[in-house]
Amino acid sequence: MHLSLKPSSQWTACVALLSGLTCLIAPTAAVKYENFKTCDQTGFCKRNRAYADHAGQVGASFESPYRIEPDSLSWEQGQLRGTILKTIDAAGETVRLPITISFLESGSARVVVDEEKRQKGEIELRHDSMARKERYNEVESLVIIGGLSLSLTAKEERDVGKTTVKYGPNGKFAAIVKFSPFSIDFARDGATQVKLNDRGLLNMEHWRPKIEKAEPEQKEGEELPAEVQTGEDESTWWDETFGGNTDSKPRGPESIALDITFPGYDHVYGIPEHAGPLSLKQTRGGSGNHADPYRLYNADVFEYIMDSPMTLYGSIPFMQAHKKDSTVGVFWLNAAETWIDIIKEKEAHNPLSLGLGSKMDTKTHWFSESGLLDVFIFLGPTPKDITKAYGELTGFSQLPQEFSITYHQCRWNYNTDEDVKDVDRKMTKYQIPYDVIWLDIEYTDDKKYFTWDPLTFPDPIGMLKQLDESERKLVAIIDPHIKKKDGYHIVDELTKKDLAVHNKEGNAYEGWCWPGSSYWVDCFNPAAIEWWKTLFQYTAFKGSAENVFIWNDMNEPSVFNGPETTMPKDNLHHGNWEHRDVHNINGMTFHNATYQALLSRKKGELRRPFILTRSYYAGSQRLGAMWTGDNQASWDHLAASFPMILNNGIAGYPFAGADVGGFFGNPEKDLLTRWYQAGAFYPFYRGHAHIDTRRREPYLAGEPYTGIITRALRLRYALLPTWYTAFHQASVDGTPIIRPHYFEYPSDEQGFAVDDQFFVGSTGLLAHPVVTEGAESVEMYLPDDELYFDYFDYTLYSGKGKHTISAPLDKIPLLMQGGHIFPRKDRPRRSSGLMRFDPYTLVIVLGKVGMAKGELYVDDGDSFEYEQGAYIHRTFEFSNNVLESKNIATKGKLTDKFLKTMKDVAVERIILVGIPASWTGKSTLKGGVEIECHAAEGPTAAWATVKKPGVKVVEDWRIDFNSLSHVRDEI
Amino acid sequence: MRRIEALLLLTTLFSSASAAESPRPRGVGPEFAKLYKSQDTFTCILHPSITIPFSRVNDDYCDCPDGSDEPGTSACTYLSPLSPPQPLPESPSGSSLDTTLALPGFYCKNKGHVPKYIHHSYVNDGVCDYDLCCDGSDEWAGVGGIKCADKCAGIGKEYRKLEEERYKRAMEAGRRRDELVVEARRLREEVKANIGALEVEIRELDTRREDLEKKYMEIDRRERGRVVKSKGKGSRTTVLAGLARQRVEDLRNALVGVAEKRDGLKGRVKELEAILATFKEEYNPNFNDEGVKRAVKAWEDYAANKVETDDDAEDREIEEITQPDSETEGINWAEWETEEGSDVDAIYKFEAYLPASLREWIHNKMADFRAMLVENGILADNSNPDNEPKVVTDARNAFQASTNDLNAKRTSLEDLQNDLSKDYGVDDIFRAMKGKCVETDSGEYTYELCWLDRTMQKSKKGGGHTNMGNFVRFDKLEVDEEVGADGRGLGQGERITLMYENGQHCWNGPNRQTTVVLGCAEKDEIWKVQEQEKCMYRMDVGTPVVCGKVTPKQEGQAKDEL
Repeated sequence: MHLSLKPSSQWTACVALLSGLTCLIAPTAAVKYENFKTCDQTGFCKRNRAYADHAGQVGASFESPYRIEPDSLSWEQGQLRGTILKTIDAAGETVRLPITISFLESGSARVVVDEEKRQKGEIELRHDSMARKERYNEVESLVIIGGLSLSLTAKEERDVGKTTVKYGPNGKFAAIVKFSPFSIDFARDGATQVKLNDRGLLNMEHWRPKIEKAEPEQKEGEELPAEVQTGEDESTWWDETFGGNTDSKPRGPESIALDITFPGYDHVYGIPEHAGPLSLKQTRGGSGNHADPYRLYNADVFEYIMDSPMTLYGSIPFMQAHKKDSTVGVFWLNAAETWIDIIKEKEAHNPLSLGLGSKMDTKTHWFSESGLLDVFIFLGPTPKDITKAYGELTGFSQLPQEFSITYHQCRWNYNTDEDVKDVDRKMTKYQIPYDVIWLDIEYTDDKKYFTWDPLTFPDPIGMLKQLDESERKLVAIIDPHIKKKDGYHIVDELTKKDLAVHNKEGNAYEGWCWPGSSYWVDCFNPAAIEWWKTLFQYTAFKGSAENVFIWNDMNEPSVFNGPETTMPKDNLHHGNWEHRDVHNINGMTFHNATYQALLSRKKGELRRPFILTRSYYAGSQRLGAMWTGDNQASWDHLAASFPMILNNGIAGYPFAGADVGGFFGNPEKDLLTRWYQAGAFYPFYRGHAHIDTRRREPYLAGEPYTGIITRALRLRYALLPTWYTAFHQASVDGTPIIRPHYFEYPSDEQGFAVDDQFFVGSTGLLAHPVVTEGAESVEMYLPDDELYFDYFDYTLYSGKGKHTISAPLDKIPLLMQGGHIFPRKDRPRRSSGLMRFDPYTLVIVLGKVGMAKGELYVDDGDSFEYEQGAYIHRTFEFSNNVLESKNIATKGKLTDKFLKTMKDVAVERIILVGIPASWTGKSTLKGGVEIECHAAEGPTAAWATVKKPGVKVVEDWRIDFNSLSHVRDEI
Repeated sequence: MRRIEALLLLTTLFSSASAAESPRPRGVGPEFAKLYKSQDTFTCILHPSITIPFSRVNDDYCDCPDGSDEPGTSACTYLSPLSPPQPLPESPSGSSLDTTLALPGFYCKNKGHVPKYIHHSYVNDGVCDYDLCCDGSDEWAGVGGIKCADKCAGIGKEYRKLEEERYKRAMEAGRRRDELVVEARRLREEVKANIGALEVEIRELDTRREDLEKKYMEIDRRERGRVVKSKGKGSRTTVLAGLARQRVEDLRNALVGVAEKRDGLKGRVKELEAILATFKEEYNPNFNDEGVKRAVKAWEDYAANKVETDDDAEDREIEEITQPDSETEGINWAEWETEEGSDVDAIYKFEAYLPASLREWIHNKMADFRAMLVENGILADNSNPDNEPKVVTDARNAFQASTNDLNAKRTSLEDLQNDLSKDYGVDDIFRAMKGKCVETDSGEYTYELCWLDRTMQKSKKGGGHTNMGNFVRFDKLEVDEEVGADGRGLGQGERITLMYENGQHCWNGPNRQTTVVLGCAEKDEIWKVQEQEKCMYRMDVGTPVVCGKVTPKQEGQAKDEL
């Protein structure tokens, strides 16, 4: 016997070996890094970083070559115009850069810098390019919808070497424009908050002709000649190749860059979409930091990774900086590829520094590949001020179809119309509410949009009818790529009308996507939008009906065979703008075209569109919902969803969600269950799955999972009035629907980086969904000394700081903060449409001072009639033991008509949590209304139920709890 | 007179019964009527300690923790283990999670049709749920202006018509089933008969085989006893050896060539496989390029079905074979090419000098003796099959043939016996289905079910057929499905299933398998095929096989009205 191992240890060895092998073999799902550029592989990113490094190395003696020509300055009605001169060589030659600084009525400021030569077309393009010569100047017309009125009160005071503009509310804001080198400091109440070009990194790559130099002969391994090393790196000026695609760059180098410093601020948020924490990380390396800048270049990133500055599907170049009691923001209005470097440095000890008491400066450095330098500055001081000011410019979040904020059941794919009907029946049978079932690309005939596969979907109308029986809807996918196929009427029209995106030669660009060879509709073209509108008419899109809504996917655009899975940058859009100039806004233009189309499906019909988009930009919030794309069935992806949604929310796009269950892979049942619980707090709540995954409709999970999932879904439905009220608020003032701590508690420094719990609207509901495997409890952070009650059993928690909340699998950690009132509808129905006339339950959560307030917004959830007053908007206030409902709506033409339809809707029950001990035992209110009071018991707070208070939701009313008495019923 | 009294009494009883029925609160079924009799108070059914004024019954507010005070509204629907929990002091745990509801639902009288209970959450939700509540009584409040007219007359009529058809179909299906049972019985008898016949045959064969064996042994023994055997002629052997040698050389060279070529191709295959493996690893499945996906899938199937050959053994063998022959290895050609007949053999021919009778006797004795020595391993058996005498060969062949025949028959018998004891379901009925197949179109595929054999997916767009599993066993499954007006559909309850497993291997998944769920129908037809999970199929199939006995109706539509 030469084998001395015991059988058992042989086995162990075997197993160990096996698992070791499995580890090696198991495909690690990870992004294909090589498909996407790093900064180093991106010419303008590398050049601007090198510029920053150079400035850093030179140090104090570095001088920015940009200065304002003082004589060029003129001031008119809140606008300062002039010219910046950029010195471009040792001889002192300059180029002229017109600058406009606008001070807006809203208190925001805007700085725009252009380039005279390009503006006037005094340049030559290479390769006989048909592209426009100007820097792209149309992004404003697509993004900004208002808030540009100039301030009438702003005043300029010119000085030697600088000029100061006082503006904003009560003239509290100031912009100090220094001439040489050019810089601007923005101050509020005398303290500097935002500095532009403080580090001298302003860079506008002016137009220059290509000078053909003799290639310096270089043998392999030889050092480059010294002059080449020290001079500017021109290697990326004229063309760039990546992954086999060469960008012809007919306009040469044209990037813009600027450093923006937030003195005394140690947190910056925003600039979605990235998978990472809410509070953005530093990007110039070092332990725990990123090595690359945050990138914004909308792309179809396959199996994206966590905690990365890599680009994703959408981009909003809007950033907030926050410190105790102060929030400021910048909005970088540029649709080209953009990167943002962030560093945080201990503030240099400087007695002149105005940011007293602060410790950290956050220094950001923004660079875009082309276009204008166009940046808005918001001085706050609160987060709400910022999101409001931003929303006035780019629009507030759409007031959505009410059904669209309930649960959506999606899968790639429901295979047949019978399959759809079967899922619909099963959801009903298991008493699981849902409103919308979705169809991914396989419903089409051979990936030809606006058609149905005749074999698998022979009867779409029959399917839609069944859904409509319980007021359920269908969302069908329509993507921007149009299959190149003879006889497909859509592509025939597209090409005949020449409405597709062009390649650099000016012909329809042909690429590869789901259908194979395809063209892309160019929604920058107004004629394309007009054409697109005709396609969605019920008469044109056969098999569609009133309960069909749309999903726009792949609109980055995703081009399978393109550079970085998207279009070549030298493609041409309407007006011969290069794709390079407009890339990040491309997705929004498609989303917008579909939005316009859904408004015109039938003459006389005017209903709110619902369209989900994957790609987005600032302004997309006006058009519908977004989701975080193709995530994975893993706990880290579940955890990442909240920081991502929170970041999107504070960047003005709160109607956001992640695929529940995870798109790729098969979630374990506990993960699926936790994801449904978490998803109940996504503004956009949709379960979705990849075609290669196992079925995972909620009823398939089995007990106890299906029951727990159903409870989470019903929780979302019960709180629908609360969610809809929060959506309404977002639609009028831009406040996020789920809100991070810093947003609600801007003074509480401990909460600034918290992104695993959040508040729902203004309701005081504080949720901390479980996102870790096997958790039995969570540490929940309370930002103040108010009373907090467990949502489900009224357990009381109080005291600022962390509290352990028990959270077995069937429990969602959800607290109600004292001082709030929120509405519910507790009766479970098949869909939200069937809850419309159900009575309300009001939950009054009494705080330390025995007061509470809340709001309710109601409308028909479908039309635009609310614009003419067809809505209910009320406040509920509890103080001095009196609960009062007051109308805060503005009456309009259709108010009465709407109130009439709602006149019978009652408040069936009022629950009061945290009632005074003195109420115990009392049982009636004035008018014989019964109240049942329960004494506090152990950790559970005292609470009461008012039964049938006999009040209607459309009426003003008051209930006096001072009339509490002991009178018992006779029985 | 008494008769009239009795009749009167009956009438009063009847009218009082109907009188008691009419004030029954909305939504209360007749079996609960007695609990709602009092006009003053109501006691929660499962919580007798709670009593409320009767005016609170159906006042659209939930007072009873068992929901019993709201038989006619949706007020108590939030009391459900499926709803978010909230405190409910009257329940055992103090939470609404463990509530028990007293009523099965809202009672729809459905006059003119069958009364039914409908879930309380369907009450006053603005939808006329005619399939359950044909009288429209679930929408009594008319929320949002909805009016649900009583459609029971029409629906009831339609239902009875369908019921009639269903009944006819069921009768027909039952008849078919009976036929199948008869057929199965016939087949069983046939098997039995076959077994009987076979057994007889085997007995006969056995006897014959024994005879033949004896005969063969005898001949063999005798022949083996012969010392001198007829031999191949030396000269011819050597010629043959020379030719054979040449031939072997040629073959060996050819083999070496082929082996080399094979090695080259093996290298290419390996290279290709590596390319494909990398391709599979690195392609982006989300792009769903059909061409790429097909290629990956084909590669997966290929990789899954690849037979691992023992190349080493084969190589060793080839190597051995291709070694040049020498005195120590392979064939010693020299020996063969030079061998000559030995004269020594002639010495044994002394028999020739003996008288015929003696010669015969000695010959026999010697043969026996030699045979004995050979059998006992004392003498080497030099009988060489290559030059076995024809008599022996014939005898052995005859014996062998009869043995083979016997074995085949025995196997058949065993098969038949196994078949007889095999589970063919109740009444042995699936016996009648053996060898039959049924297929259906579903989307881009045609699906085929071969009873107790296999399931198959055939693409209409071309490409190969995919085995979705081979029959392994019967099983059972609890189902709850719709039954269409045409009678197609599984309905509710436990159904017989046929499990088909170990079909073609699935990319990134298991081997395909199919659960065939059977419902009663007049004829064999596949109703529905679903890929429930990746490569896990379910076929809902109608067949008379699983139909129950239908008892002829007597009361007709008696149950339709109360």
